[in-house]
Amino acid sequence: MSSRQKEDRTGARHYRLAHRTTYTYPGVVTSSYGRAVMLPREGGGQQVHTSALHISPTAAQTGEHRDFHGNRSSYFKVDTEHSELEVLAESVLTVTRKQAQVDRMPMISWSQAAEVTHTLGAPGRGGDSGHGVNGNAVIAVSEAMLASQMIDLTEEVRAFAAPSFGPGTPLAHVVADLCSRINSELEYKSGSTTIHTRLPELLEKRQGVCQDFAHLLIACVRSMGLAARYVSGYIETNPPPGRPKLRGVDASHAWASVWVPGGGWLHVDPTNDQFIDNRYVVLGWGRDYRDVSPLRGIVFTEGKGSSLKVGVDLMELSAQEVEDVRSSHVTSGPPRAGARGR
Amino acid sequence: MTDLLAGYRAAGPGHDEMLQSTGAAREAWAQMADLVDLHDGAALAARSHDVVELLANNGVRQGAGNEERPWLLDPLPVLFDEAQWAHVEAGLRQRALLLDHILTDVYGDAELLTSGLLPPALVLGHPGFVRAVNDIRNPGVHQLFMVGTDLARNADGSWQVLADRAQTPSGMGFAMQDRRIVAEVLSGLYRHARIRRIGPFFQAMRRAVRDAAPAGAGTTPRAALLTPGPYSPAAFDQAYLATMLGYPLVEGEDLVVEDGRLWMRALGKLEPVDVLLRHVDAEYCDPLDLRGDSRLGVPGLVEVARNGGVTIVNPLGSGVIDNPGLLTYLPRLARSILGEELIIPSTVTYWCGERSMCSHVIANLDRLVIRSTAPGAPVLRGWELTIAERADLAVRIATEPYLWVGQERVEASTTPAVNGGLLEARPTQLRTFAVSGADGYEVMSGGVARIAAAGSDVVEPGPNDAAKDVWVLSSLPHAYSDPWATDDAGPGPVSLPTSISPGSAEDLFWFGRYTERAEGTTRLVRAVGDRLSDYSVTTTSGFPLRPGSDEPVVLAVLRQVLIDVVGDGEPARLVLDARQPGTVAHALARMARSASSVRDQLSSDTWAALSALERALSAERRRQDRDPDAVADVGPVAARLIEGLLAIAGILAESMERDVGWCLMDAGRRLERSQQLVDVLVASLHTVHGRADDSLVIESVLIAHESAITYRRRYQSQPRVESMLALLLLDEHNPRSLRFQLRELAASLDQVPAPARGTRTRDELLSDVVDLLDELDLATIATPDADGHRTTLVTTLESMSWRLRELGDEIARVHFTHPVPVPWLDASGTFATPSSRGALEENGELT
Repeated sequence: MSSRQKEDRTGARHYRLAHRTTYTYPGVVTSSYGRAVMLPREGGGQQVHTSALHISPTAAQTGEHRDFHGNRSSYFKVDTEHSELEVLAESVLTVTRKQAQVDRMPMISWSQAAEVTHTLGAPGRGGDSGHGVNGNAVIAVSEAMLASQMIDLTEEVRAFAAPSFGPGTPLAHVVADLCSRINSELEYKSGSTTIHTRLPELLEKRQGVCQDFAHLLIACVRSMGLAARYVSGYIETNPPPGRPKLRGVDASHAWASVWVPGGGWLHVDPTNDQFIDNRYVVLGWGRDYRDVSPLRGIVFTEGKGSSLKVGVDLMELSAQEVEDVRSSHVTSGPPRAGARGR
Repeated sequence: MTDLLAGYRAAGPGHDEMLQSTGAAREAWAQMADLVDLHDGAALAARSHDVVELLANNGVRQGAGNEERPWLLDPLPVLFDEAQWAHVEAGLRQRALLLDHILTDVYGDAELLTSGLLPPALVLGHPGFVRAVNDIRNPGVHQLFMVGTDLARNADGSWQVLADRAQTPSGMGFAMQDRRIVAEVLSGLYRHARIRRIGPFFQAMRRAVRDAAPAGAGTTPRAALLTPGPYSPAAFDQAYLATMLGYPLVEGEDLVVEDGRLWMRALGKLEPVDVLLRHVDAEYCDPLDLRGDSRLGVPGLVEVARNGGVTIVNPLGSGVIDNPGLLTYLPRLARSILGEELIIPSTVTYWCGERSMCSHVIANLDRLVIRSTAPGAPVLRGWELTIAERADLAVRIATEPYLWVGQERVEASTTPAVNGGLLEARPTQLRTFAVSGADGYEVMSGGVARIAAAGSDVVEPGPNDAAKDVWVLSSLPHAYSDPWATDDAGPGPVSLPTSISPGSAEDLFWFGRYTERAEGTTRLVRAVGDRLSDYSVTTTSGFPLRPGSDEPVVLAVLRQVLIDVVGDGEPARLVLDARQPGTVAHALARMARSASSVRDQLSSDTWAALSALERALSAERRRQDRDPDAVADVGPVAARLIEGLLAIAGILAESMERDVGWCLMDAGRRLERSQQLVDVLVASLHTVHGRADDSLVIESVLIAHESAITYRRRYQSQPRVESMLALLLLDEHNPRSLRFQLRELAASLDQVPAPARGTRTRDELLSDVVDLLDELDLATIATPDADGHRTTLVTTLESMSWRLRELGDEIARVHFTHPVPVPWLDASGTFATPSSRGALEENGELT
């Protein structure tokens, strides 16, 4: 059964997402505090049917709120003594997102776009900016222009960006070109970087993982006075032809999203050199990796060190399977109505 | 005598607080001039000297680590008359309301950012803006709990605001300390003048804490003050404030989040904290949701604040108010939010995030003050930069313009300050404080003024710039205000728990140990030093000399005792060298450090005694520097040190509540004294010498342990080892004996709440030592072997010694340690590989 068959006429794809993280400690952990951004957000061509975090040992306290960027942020605290902690995020969702077509994007040039971006929310403007952007969207765009912890706007970044920013080039073309250049000029190499790797070092080595590629694209865009943000999520992987899909072979993914005046946020994946489509699941977004790291925490223990195992499964479901899930689960929606997202 | 006032001239063309442009003194100052006698240089110098001494006696310090130094305070206050102050106060109240509105908005609906009143980048790009606390709301009328505002007066005599401080407004403790000291030094004037008290401000703060507490906290919410610890530059200020308010001073590791609340770790249990007065920068307060590498915070603190389990003041994120770029927009915000003009304008500030202002700043770099909006960034005086530096700066500004401001220079008004016997006109700025109240904000009637070097501009006071008290004169006689009358609607007496944190407990334990170490070492060095002076080589006739040496045996033995127990060196060095562990000076330094960590637990008299000890050491060092060749007799300095240490012993015995903290302090003392006694006995008794030598050694040991008089009264005989051991080891009535120490140690440890895992090892170690003591047969062990050694005695004592050492470690293990928070491994780095792309291409789906 090919995956093609599971896509219905509307272009919807259905998934069961399971992201399991297991920590093993040499000593006894007396308590553990965790923060996760692992439950996918709604919208943008994504419908979340069920979504929940399972902690083992059972958490004594849990909580969820919408973070500054509107992502679903989960908190948990484990009081039971343990030497192994498992965090499992499970969701069932439908993705109807269509891939953006460069030719159908607004033809606004990058320099005009930069001018619009700059004047958004400028003092004295008030209310509607005239670009269909107001309220929290102004904040989202304004924030996405600024340097952030992982995004240094250095000379090296500007120099790398420059060739894609020809005079009068439409912004959507600039983004597509940057995406291709990062994909071809940098080598994807697992383990070549860490979460602490900064952009100048990346540009020096020309090797990295999806997180680095996303950071670089964002930095290039921001260095020209435009807005871009970091997106955390997953991409569906297909097994080689004729082989069954194995469990736990999928993985976290990350890409960038660029604000195009009149066209909204354009999600672009430099790791795979494409705009995202219905094979991608969005967890959440922020200024850079640090705003949406999927899982982090603090333990109280007298032992030293720990080891970590991660497995992600993004399995396709048929329309009927999704219907079964929906009818047997109470939909776990957003934590509170009216919570805002940026 | 020349009249100093006649020689006082305001430094520049600017405003002087004391003199009018006609040269006559303003009324308030004229009154002070007469009462304080500003005309008399010698009297002024004497008052300055008094201030320095009082500051030292109160242990008032600023800075930390190598930067630590005494707090400097000018004896002459800055004076405000009633009308002037009314204007300033109204301006500060208005400003606090406005800043509260901004703080509430940017972490709430953010209408200021979306309506074009505040540029979003100004707030979103500022490091003080903490996204993790978005949407958290404290109970109470205001989100801004308190604010510090820096003011200066322009050349034209009008006030302006230099900066607002809401991250962790510091200086309130210094304000109160300064007031106490200046009021004492100028007591005649202070009583004569009608000066507004600043005490009511601290009562207002306690009311504000109550009003901000979570709903579930009841009528007597429990508060604590979170400090980065004794190494914080503002450690004194924080500890003093905690003491003033009566709240425990805690560090991050003393707190824990459990069951949706914040708790203070007390020995053996947890106690709830409802309101946390935060003196740690927000980013460092929670390693889970804020900076993961912080060791100053509490994991889960943000979450528990979000759920209303604790109120943090100032709220996390308040540092966004400290952004100097806000000054540009305050006039407009005041008009649109309050419908008012700012009563006190701010320093003219250009935020470079707006293009027109950015161009203006870059074009005027040579005459503007330039600063980054980031907290703690250095201030650049454009006119002091070279052309190349200005060009570099222009590039940096152009790269991230929203992170920079340019400000017009401020030529602050001058006030008279005492320099030696002279009066100087020094530029002055003022830190004021406001705290949330039911009806707007309450402003402290005073504050902390800082003076800069003559002729300089007070953009930022430097480390060597003195402070001044600020007096607001009142036309009304002040009503006596009851310092304990905290609340209008206060409940009846409530007994709050007085337990202490493991951190404070450990500091008190070490304070006890170092105090005893200082005393024991001083006594031992003095006893040996006296012998060395008495039996100098020329007067040794009759005493056997060491073979091959012209030194009497007794001196060699005593020298070796010092080496074994204290360390290598001449007696003077063993007293004075603070770098060598084991010396008196070293123990005193550790003692002072432990004390400053538990300032809120100690009597205020402690500081005068500590200061006297420090002075005794300094005086002796100076004496030796003057005359390095003189025979170093440690007698006089030792006498003064023992005097000071006895004063501390008296304070500990007579002025401290017998709570858990005291018991640990006492346990530290008893343990240290036991250890030292056992070690001295081993070092002095292991080998038998001649009868006369042994007598002298025994006598010195008795003197060092303050038991010589008792011994003589009781035994009236030539000193004998057996009777000495009876007195120093077994006698339960001798407060210097080992038995006495062990009994008291057990009694003190008994009062300390046991942790969950129990105290078995600790108690076994102690009872082992008691058993060893009980089993001693003095007649046997005092008798030497055939080869002249007291092997059994030494073996027994050494076996006691290592158990005592273990006991010290075990006490620390059992009572002071708890698990350390460790960040999880980062789960990233397990990202999808682009192999997915290959697969997609095989399916022919990639366009």
